Amino acid sequence: MPTKKVDEDIRELVVRYRPIITFRVRKALGASNTDCEDLVSEIISQVLEKIKTGEFRGESSLGTFVYTISSRRIVDYIREKTKIMKYAPEPLPFPDPQETLETQETANKVRKALSKLKPKYRDIIYLYYYQELSREEVAAKLGISTRKVSELVNYALKLIRNEIKK
Amino acid sequence: MKKCRFEGLIDGYLLNKLSERDKEAFEEHYFNCSSCFQKLQERDIIIRTVKNNPDLFEQKEPARSSVMANLRREVASFFTPKQLALAGVTAALFVAIIFVVVPRPEGPAPVFLLTDEEAIRGSSITLISPVIDMYQIPTSFEWKKLGEDIEYQVAIYNSELLWKTNTKENRITLPDDIKAKMVPGEKYSWQVKAFGSDGSLIAVSSRVQFTIAAQ
Repeated sequence: MPTKKVDEDIRELVVRYRPIITFRVRKALGASNTDCEDLVSEIISQVLEKIKTGEFRGESSLGTFVYTISSRRIVDYIREKTKIMKYAPEPLPFPDPQETLETQETANKVRKALSKLKPKYRDIIYLYYYQELSREEVAAKLGISTRKVSELVNYALKLIRNEIKK
Repeated sequence: MKKCRFEGLIDGYLLNKLSERDKEAFEEHYFNCSSCFQKLQERDIIIRTVKNNPDLFEQKEPARSSVMANLRREVASFFTPKQLALAGVTAALFVAIIFVVVPRPEGPAPVFLLTDEEAIRGSSITLISPVIDMYQIPTSFEWKKLGEDIEYQVAIYNSELLWKTNTKENRITLPDDIKAKMVPGEKYSWQVKAFGSDGSLIAVSSRVQFTIAAQ
């Protein structure tokens, strides 16, 4: 196989999987964990290494292969940390979306969309996402059916998505 | 576009509501499904923005505000502003008639006569000591003074009256013969009644219990 083709494949693989691995790592360790970036790079190196040495034999999809390596590395990291610290680092449940400029910009658009929502949609978002009530609980609280709750949530999300796309 | 069957797990995954099995299945899925991953990223930012901006929702407590808003709308649709004002004035007049215009019977205040065995609910003499369990037999009993020229009657009980005495002070010392009757481990109670110079009962304390700890 020509070297140029291999390089392109590697680049494509990195471009495709880096954001997914980053998301998975941040979800597990918390966005504010300074080790996240190093861990993501390590995982990508491991994936490339295993592909080069022929460990990836195509028995599963490439996505599943990358997922398995990522999960194992995350578990190892937590295990290493718990050896040093009494408790594994606990990720912040919902850190403010500030990781990249793009994330910040999207968050601003979401804020704008939320402030523009009609009360009935804002109420639904508040109860379902902020208070984390189940659809059934929201339905009981507002005296509407769970189907109606789903419709309102989906429509509110659609309105927010429209604002993000602007 | 056909909806991916995993899409329904996005909220549960981000709000940490999935079982470990579903969580792992979904994680593996979004490594393979770019459409779900894109939606996941977008929903993640939406949820985190919602969680970090409670002020956007502060104007109201949703359910209650909706109910109140509905009520206001109902009332507004039922009455014109003029009718509402008239209803308010009528209600105020009605209250005034009941409390001001209608004469209230002014009979003499009821007189309550108390015998020695009757108790007044709600104490007006504060007992100071002993009011908690004691390590040894108390040597004195003390209460808060009510005023001048008041005679206090102090009574100490076990299962029955142990000792009763009168004093003008707000403290008594327990005589040795009574002390000798008190046994560690037993439960006792005491009460003070106050009498005016004409002998009328003014106030009664609550009956306070205390235990003398066993040696």
